[in-house]
Amino acid sequence: MKKKSIFVAAFAAAMVAAASVGSAWAYFTTYAEAQGGYTISLGDETRVEEEFSDWTKHIAVTSAEGSEPTYIRVKAFTGSQYQLVFSDKAGKWSPGDDGYYYYGDIVEGGQTTEPLDVKIENIPEDAGEFNVVVVHESTPVQYDEAGEPYADWSIKLDSGNMEGGAE
Amino acid sequence: MGKIKEFIKSPKATVVSFALAMVLLLLSSIGGARAALTYYSDNYTSRVQMDNIGVTLVENGKDVSNRDYKSASDGTWDENTGALLAGMLAKGETVKLGKRYPEELRVKNSGTINQYVRVNVYRYWLDKDGEKQRGLSPSLIDLNFVNIGSDWLVDEESSTAERTVLYYSKLLESGKESSLFADSLAIDSMIGTKVTQTTQKEGKYTTITTTFDYDGVKFCVEARVDAVQDHNAEDAIWSAWGRRVQVKDGILSLK
Repeated sequence: MKKKSIFVAAFAAAMVAAASVGSAWAYFTTYAEAQGGYTISLGDETRVEEEFSDWTKHIAVTSAEGSEPTYIRVKAFTGSQYQLVFSDKAGKWSPGDDGYYYYGDIVEGGQTTEPLDVKIENIPEDAGEFNVVVVHESTPVQYDEAGEPYADWSIKLDSGNMEGGAE
Repeated sequence: MGKIKEFIKSPKATVVSFALAMVLLLLSSIGGARAALTYYSDNYTSRVQMDNIGVTLVENGKDVSNRDYKSASDGTWDENTGALLAGMLAKGETVKLGKRYPEELRVKNSGTINQYVRVNVYRYWLDKDGEKQRGLSPSLIDLNFVNIGSDWLVDEESSTAERTVLYYSKLLESGKESSLFADSLAIDSMIGTKVTQTTQKEGKYTTITTTFDYDGVKFCVEARVDAVQDHNAEDAIWSAWGRRVQVKDGILSLK
């Protein structure tokens, strides 16, 4: 019977304590929340197209549909006994100090550059088979903090461990 | 003494204890009932200034989300949840890596009582299925926090790489806006260089496949503003947010 009395008293005390919980949490509070974001699309695929006529290679570079915007550069070379003369009617290509020709406009996915003409000169009459090799490169368009685009040809891909990113 | 012992052992003691418990319970609820009666009586006799708490998240000068207690005092809230970054890009525009976009975030007291506020800011990446990508770095979502250390205090104990917890050190008065806690957002162009390469040998050919780690993932910024009454602020904050703070002359500091 004594145990029962203690139990009843403890139950009563617990009930009283529970009744006061409400007042302990009775502070005015509220909240507001929002979220948002965008999907990132990375990667590009570019393809060089060449047409040959009248000892001239007509070079154009196409960026595949869905590719991110890129800058394009092209280089052509052959045996030293031949001379290559570069020209373009649209005035979009300009020579760099490194032998590359740089396309001035940003090439969006699905677009093709204006052609770059490479004329092969000093061809001897007894010239045998020879090659003119064309190399093209693309780099994703970079933006400064003001949103102005620029090309960074020194970017290197990082296939290291992603843990922690660039922190 | 003997009689008392005898009484305690008797069934009467159980009945009396139970009755006492009931009386205590009733007494404990009288306070609330009396307060309620007083409250309604005042409503009839005079114009009453209601204590309504409300808070609004403001982005680039526009209200995005709010939750304000209604002055009708019918227990309901005026609640709106909007989207962050909705105006960041024009239609058809894609995110330009490295470009800094305006993202001015602040808090407005849209209630009728003064309050203290804190903000939880989350930055994370989601894959195409909406699953959080914990291997991708939140720090590359560069939300530029401002007024840190003065108006806004970083709770380092509660902050992680993904979550930044900020406390506004000043009392936010009814109808007033806080100073900015962020002013711009940029996605680090470094994400364009992070790749995973797999090599596959077939005969005398070797194929290297390069996959951009951040291609197709979605960056997310989430902000949650919490507000609490200024009256008895230290206890209220401890009770509501579980954080010990000190409030002296209206200035909040973290303990």
